[in-house]
Amino acid sequence: MDTLKNKVALITGGASGIGRATAILFAQEGAAVVIADIDAEAGQAVVKEIEAAGGRALFTACDVTKAQDCQQAVEAAVAAFGGLDILFNNAGIIRRADVLTTTEAEWDRVMDVNVKSIFLMSKCAIPHMERRGGGAIINTSSGWGLKGGRNAVSYCASKGAVTNMTRAMAIDHGRQNIRVNAVCPGDTDTPTLRSEAKQLGQPENEFLTESAARPLGRYGRPEEIAEAVLFLASEAASYITGAALVVDGGGLA
Amino acid sequence: MHGLKNKRVLITGGAGGIGFEMARRFLAEGARVAILDRDPLACQRAKESLPALSGILLADVSDETEVARAFDELDALFGGLDVLINNAGISIRHAFLDITADEWRSVINVNLNGVFYVAQQAARRMWAGSGGVILNMGSTNGLTGYPYYADYNASKAGVIELTRSMALELGPKVRVNAVCPGFIMTPMQEAEYTPEMRRAFEAKVPLQRLGKPEDVAALFAFLASDEAAFITGQAFVIDGGEIAGGLASQA
Repeated sequence: MDTLKNKVALITGGASGIGRATAILFAQEGAAVVIADIDAEAGQAVVKEIEAAGGRALFTACDVTKAQDCQQAVEAAVAAFGGLDILFNNAGIIRRADVLTTTEAEWDRVMDVNVKSIFLMSKCAIPHMERRGGGAIINTSSGWGLKGGRNAVSYCASKGAVTNMTRAMAIDHGRQNIRVNAVCPGDTDTPTLRSEAKQLGQPENEFLTESAARPLGRYGRPEEIAEAVLFLASEAASYITGAALVVDGGGLA
Repeated sequence: MHGLKNKRVLITGGAGGIGFEMARRFLAEGARVAILDRDPLACQRAKESLPALSGILLADVSDETEVARAFDELDALFGGLDVLINNAGISIRHAFLDITADEWRSVINVNLNGVFYVAQQAARRMWAGSGGVILNMGSTNGLTGYPYYADYNASKAGVIELTRSMALELGPKVRVNAVCPGFIMTPMQEAEYTPEMRRAFEAKVPLQRLGKPEDVAALFAFLASDEAAFITGQAFVIDGGEIAGGLASQA
């Protein structure tokens, strides 16, 4: 229960879904957790949940597409907990549409939230990690960051970028003992997944049945992705960097 | 790691190197561990260092008859199997032009055929029972080209594809994954590399060091545990960033 004892972790998109599950798990494992999200109400609720269980957490309102917000989030973590060891770049959105039906504004928004945010947050976080003698950055990519998918062209482009920028960052910052890895979830039971059914105009139960069509015969739970993120953040993964950890019930096998 | 306590674990090539370190790690996680190895002396040493081992099966994974006999012994010992670590492997450093047919066969027989013989025995038991986890030892050499190990690289690429295919057929009862270590300093590696070669290699790895058997054992423990319950059909790289960018990044 103390895998992350004395560590400080910042989680973007920590108010719901995979980010929320990871925030709760990290806190259980002894980390002080900073939840950076645009949804203050949901974010504060996660903080309360963690504190009620005896953990340490802080919410900071943050639009990850804005450099100033990212800077403030990192500074809030350092001010509250004395430093930063783990950055989980998890905030993301999906637009289920092909090239013809994706607007330019939607394209920019997906790339900003899913890709630029990692650049902005990492830029602020890395100097603090270096000061602590190292750190771990985990980026949420996707199975669709490794292979293509239907009606999600901006999302696939963004997640492909996440997978490869993860490798590039691993190469650049290994010398500072900062490990950078991606987690690639398959379909996971989150608000985002359920929103996809709506975007595609498909009944939710039909969409979820299709999501479960994979070797393990089900879609994932946020807690299962959180376990993979915890592993990558922990000392157990001390020789793993530049890697993409796929957690998808065999969907890509 | 959750869910390894009292699990019945078999580790091939468990008497030395990474396999031995995994035996130690799984014992520390509370699992019941048997090792299968062809080296009687190494087995003896393993038993002395790890008296908690449940059993030692002397067998050569490249001999399907010996593997079948070892699994009969395992049935008597454990009455089933929850986790298979298919780790036994050999490598020979030699130029492609010099590889003899006997050398080629010996590498493929241990690294690919052996993985198949052992995996099928284990999978049949897991399939008939309550399921399980099979973890195969791949290598970054099975994902990217590397000179002087053509036979080894081909065998490891085979293991990775075997892993994916097994995952598709054996889900949802059995999870099957491969682990692809980069340069891990084991006795097998130490015999092959000079200190100069080692230093040159360390300089090319983003984390600036070679891996340790403990690093790899930790990844196996994670993948075998309940924490990896949604993970199957994948090959996981653990290489300090070595192949994140390939040769172009190693200037």
